[in-house]
Amino acid sequence: MTVYVAPELKPPEPPPEARQLGAWVWLRKNLFNTWYNGVLTVVLAVGIVWGARGAFAFLLSPDRLWGVIPPNATNYAVDVYPRPELTRIWVTLAVVMVLVGLSSATWRPTGKTSWGTILAVVRATGVAAFAVGLLVPPTFVGRNPLLVGGAVLVLLGAVGIRAAGPAAREERLPMLGVLAGVLVLALVVIWLLPVAKTTKVPWTIEVLVLAAAHLVGRPLVRAVGEKTLKVVLSFLWVLSLPVIYLHLERKPVIPWEVVVSWLPWVLPVLVVGYLAILYASRAGRERAAALNALLVVAALAVWFVPSPMVVRLLMLVLVGFTLAAPTFASSGNGRRNFMVGWSGATFFLVYFVTLAVAETGLETQGDFLGGLNLTFLLALGGMLLSFPIGIMMALGRTSTMPIFRLLSTGYIEIVRGVPLITVLFFADKVVPRFLPPGLDFDGVVKAIIAIALFSGAYLAENVRGGLQSIPKGQYEAARALGMTTAQMTMLITLPQALRAVIPAIVGQVISLFKDTSLVAIIGLADFFRVARDIVPNQPASLGSQIENLVMAAVVYWIFTFSFSRASLRLERKLGVGTR
Amino acid sequence: MADNGKRDIIICEDVKKWFGDFQALRGISTRVYEQEVVVIIGPSGSGKSTWIRCINRLEVHQEGRIIVDGIELTSDVRNIEQIRSEVGMVFQQFNLFPHLTVMQNITLAQTWVRKRTKAEAEEKAMALLERVGIPEQAHKFPGQLSGGQQQRVAIARSLAMDPKIMLFDEPTSALDPEMIKEVLDVMKELAQSGMTMLVVTHEMGFAREVADRVIFMDQGQIVEEGTPEHFFTNPQHDRTKLFLSQIL
Amino acid sequence: MTQSRIDATQTRPPLWRNVTFLKWATQIGVLVGLVVLAWILISTALRNLEAQGLSLDWDFLTDPVGIRLGEGIFTQPASGLEAFATAIVNMLRVTASGIIAATILGVLVGISRLSSNWLLSRSATAFVETIRNIPLLIQIVFWFFLMTLFFPTLEVDASGPAPGWLIVSRKGVSIPWLFPTEVFWQWFVFVAGGAWAARRVYRRRIELLEETGRETHPGRWALGTFVLIAGLGWFAHPIAGALGWLFALVAAVIAAIPDFAFQLLFAAVSIWLGARWIRRFLDSRRTPAGLARLTDDDYFRMGLAGVLGLAGAAVFVAIPQITSLITDVAHFVFAFLDQKFDFLRTGVPLRLGRPEVVVPGRFPQIGDTGMTMTPNFFGLWVGVTLYTAAFIAEIVRGGILAVPKGQTEAGMALGLKRSQVLRMIILPQAFRIILPPMGNQYLNLAKNTSLGIAIAYAELVQVGQTLFNQTGDTIQVFLIWMAFYLTVSLVLSSIVNWYNRRVKLVER
Ligand SMILES: Nc1ncnc2c1ncn2[C@@H]1O[C@H](COP(=O)(O)OP(=O)(O)OP(=O)(O)O)[C@@H](O)[C@H]1O
Ligand SMILES: [Mg+2]
Repeated sequence: MTVYVAPELKPPEPPPEARQLGAWVWLRKNLFNTWYNGVLTVVLAVGIVWGARGAFAFLLSPDRLWGVIPPNATNYAVDVYPRPELTRIWVTLAVVMVLVGLSSATWRPTGKTSWGTILAVVRATGVAAFAVGLLVPPTFVGRNPLLVGGAVLVLLGAVGIRAAGPAAREERLPMLGVLAGVLVLALVVIWLLPVAKTTKVPWTIEVLVLAAAHLVGRPLVRAVGEKTLKVVLSFLWVLSLPVIYLHLERKPVIPWEVVVSWLPWVLPVLVVGYLAILYASRAGRERAAALNALLVVAALAVWFVPSPMVVRLLMLVLVGFTLAAPTFASSGNGRRNFMVGWSGATFFLVYFVTLAVAETGLETQGDFLGGLNLTFLLALGGMLLSFPIGIMMALGRTSTMPIFRLLSTGYIEIVRGVPLITVLFFADKVVPRFLPPGLDFDGVVKAIIAIALFSGAYLAENVRGGLQSIPKGQYEAARALGMTTAQMTMLITLPQALRAVIPAIVGQVISLFKDTSLVAIIGLADFFRVARDIVPNQPASLGSQIENLVMAAVVYWIFTFSFSRASLRLERKLGVGTR
Repeated sequence: MADNGKRDIIICEDVKKWFGDFQALRGISTRVYEQEVVVIIGPSGSGKSTWIRCINRLEVHQEGRIIVDGIELTSDVRNIEQIRSEVGMVFQQFNLFPHLTVMQNITLAQTWVRKRTKAEAEEKAMALLERVGIPEQAHKFPGQLSGGQQQRVAIARSLAMDPKIMLFDEPTSALDPEMIKEVLDVMKELAQSGMTMLVVTHEMGFAREVADRVIFMDQGQIVEEGTPEHFFTNPQHDRTKLFLSQIL
Repeated sequence: MTQSRIDATQTRPPLWRNVTFLKWATQIGVLVGLVVLAWILISTALRNLEAQGLSLDWDFLTDPVGIRLGEGIFTQPASGLEAFATAIVNMLRVTASGIIAATILGVLVGISRLSSNWLLSRSATAFVETIRNIPLLIQIVFWFFLMTLFFPTLEVDASGPAPGWLIVSRKGVSIPWLFPTEVFWQWFVFVAGGAWAARRVYRRRIELLEETGRETHPGRWALGTFVLIAGLGWFAHPIAGALGWLFALVAAVIAAIPDFAFQLLFAAVSIWLGARWIRRFLDSRRTPAGLARLTDDDYFRMGLAGVLGLAGAAVFVAIPQITSLITDVAHFVFAFLDQKFDFLRTGVPLRLGRPEVVVPGRFPQIGDTGMTMTPNFFGLWVGVTLYTAAFIAEIVRGGILAVPKGQTEAGMALGLKRSQVLRMIILPQAFRIILPPMGNQYLNLAKNTSLGIAIAYAELVQVGQTLFNQTGDTIQVFLIWMAFYLTVSLVLSSIVNWYNRRVKLVER
């Protein structure tokens, strides 16, 4: 047998396709690789062209009343919210912007993209615009702009890709920068073209607030520390909900004399709170337990002596703090956090109760929150409230205590077994039956709670999946380190479980956002209801149901689609689902 | 015709293959004659798997020619199916069908590709299970078998098609040491029965005992080939020496 | 300090430091708290109801109601019960047809998404991304308006593309249909029997095939058996009418036994269930060496089971209405079946109806001689079908992708064709992965039919709302909703679980 020895190793060669024409190879490979795929392609292409022409002919026919949409922009956004008070909505939006800016600086979404990708997107947009231009009826005024614009974009993209060269194409750009660029572009469009004519100043301010918050956030992260800021921001997000709600709902006429009359109660409780937390975190478990028993009795007792509501609530909050103190505040750092937390809790509680008892100066009747504003409020509120519910129920369902397990399992299965609309009817029509006469919540609040209760059950199942995916070793390691069950849950297992199921949670949030449209059925004027009933029934826009529905569908689609794309990026980044 | 008068059953001429811009095979040329046992060795990523997967067209080569048993591998569907039913393949991860019993795993392709009756197919399956030493496992599911048993079922499954050539892609690297032996024994017996075999493996004992020829690959090309004695006593190329010094 | 040294020698810690005791004390404390809360709420509710002149009874189910429903078996129901029956049938109609259509469409789209044809896979992706990201409610309303506003108007003479066979109009689409007559159920006995016999024959022929290796045509034999028996029944069904006597007898027996006997029976069953649980629990703790030492935890559990069994019995004894409700329903079912069967009642089981346009007043309507799809049904059905199909497509795609690539390669290496690999290797494995989430989607579809209320489709929620707007009985209607949807959930998920267990892979 002969022996063969290679003289020297061959260098790699470029692939053969690179030598051929790109587009032709692509067509051959993706559309006509076999005869039946070729036939399929032709049939499909004919079908798509026919269907798209039909759809465009329908949507762009002169009979459609697209003209009714722009004049109603404010209605879609806020429905009947008193027009002189619209600044309130801009302010609450600014609050959200500040939080978004700070959060983006703290969590630093690290997605990257490249010039190549951006240019490819530009080119694809151009191709799509050009194709649409070809398919729309010739009478449509936008036809030529579409054709010309599309061609320009294709040219831009193609020339850009050629000119950039491989190095520039591959260059990694931070996603955040790209987003900022898009925002600036949007502002330019707002100022140059006749869109958002009356709101361009507020929109610009909002964007500036966002940018400022982000810029302030960066040094803040360095100064305060990332972990602390994350915790604080999470709390602020939760607190933002009542702040926004109260700010939208009422123009408070604060009864100062009442508030001042609380002080002799609140200040001592505050001080007692400091001392109690200090004692509970330092003394042994048993003494802390004795103190807690004492405090529980006291907290119950204040409900039976004449005292302001704010103090009764405050006592309950205090019990929560002291119960947690022996487990989580035994280190110096934890104790400090608890003190800060207790101060913050006192402040916000007083603030909320003050606003709640204040008379409102807004001249309105009934529910006046509406439009997209309400849709987002419902989504935000439902989401934030569903988290504690979901986590609690998941812990209950995985706990070793049979009664808790039974109760949580029952709750989760019952809620998941019925449609959301019945839960909304329950909150709207059944709950008032169980409350003392005269006591009823606002429709919006009830809807938020119903949505949260519903979504919480689904969230619980997601979290449970995460808890069960944690290897047993983690539990055993935590036990071996001498942690209590509460410490193990809060510090080891729950954080891991939540991280493992982020994609599922985002999916749940997306479906929650879509589900808010159901409140229209129980009579709230959310965005969907404005588009479906309110605008098409105005004399000036009678008979524009289809136009409004299509518009609403597009708006919802834009939000949900971008959410789901973002979550996809997140999923890839976390490496979930890949093995 | 090979120099010993036997017929060439696999002919590769300057086979090249790219994954995107990455060239995995940089021109492989060699011939395998009937009843020859060829062992392929080489560092990870050198293209061993890619090459033998090209031989039954699990991968598609882009340049060069591959002729198996007188049929050239082109995109003609009929050729591909014919070659696949003549060439058996055994994978590192066994790839048994978990939803079918061992028996069904072995009879499935016999009935659908070879068009045998159920009785014939089962008879053949039992005979092969005897041959690989696990007739008692016929009605279990793959999930209930050990790795070594699974790999032996996989070999039986391929043999049931009466292939002219068997390809093995690291058949023992997912197995525990004692299971490796049971699989290697089956493979040795197969080699002695005159099967043409292409085996990617790092079991040097096996190579020394049964191989007619050893091929060393690196960077998508054949660096050195020769008899086992040549390799273990007198390797020529620096790459080969380095590689052998690492694994022996 | 001394305290702790003494503890170390004790075998049992004091009660307030006993983990088991604390655990159970907390749980029972919470439970008692919840019961008290429920009691407070319920008594408040009772007071509220009294103040408004309402009560918590179920009279509205039997009292006459003055509502009209859009479509269904009773469009002018005589009672709440009839209204709910109509609603349930309507709901099940959308659910069943939606599940079938969504499955077919979803599987097709899901496979298309994996096609090597760029245009096909992109179209499938576009479909999924469009449908999934728009609220279902909008889609339902959109399809509804599309039909009511943009379909051709209904006219008396030119009614659709094929007059007499197909009507397409704003008021609905109508096609010819086979309707059951009053002897249908007698024939149905033969149809069901035929299906059962066909199954037996099929199995037998398969066995024969495996024994002899000869082609035995099991499919043809099974079909032949079914056609033969069902065809025979077409003429022989009056014989099955004899079953009517049996049903009448059962109904009479139920009516004859006094209610308190049933009450005692149910109470006994409740106690028996509790006792059985305890016995099984003890069995599970029994080791070959005798009963394992029981922990405090175990005693608490057994106590709870016993108390629950006794409590159930007490409820049956104390509230006779529950028992009478159960017996009434059973009696009703058998009495109803009795009406449907009559020995030697003759006739044709099915009758062909063709669509027609009628003019009852000033405007033309679609008559009820054909099978008509109203705009309300259309909107809801198309909406839930497309929506669910988009999710099913994703599940199917994920399921197929989850089958390891090695499986395809092994199949190909054996010389199987691409289609054979897909059919015999990939799909059976993907199916196991797909099944549980698919069941969830079916459940979602069933629940989503409740959105029919937005376009006044007479399903459960819409009918319930109409009813409580009239009577004010919101609590009862809500309980009916819950009972119904939970039953549907339970039935669907037990089917899925049962099937899942059957096809589960055998692992080491
Ligand atoms: N499907 C694929 N896509 C892209 N690159 C691939 C693919 N399959 C293999 N490669 C690359 O081709 C090269 C050769 O791979 P191959 O699997 O043939 O190596 P190997 O010699 O079998 O290595 P090992 O001993 O680790 O199995 C590797 O660099 C691998 O990364
Ligand atoms: Mg390999």
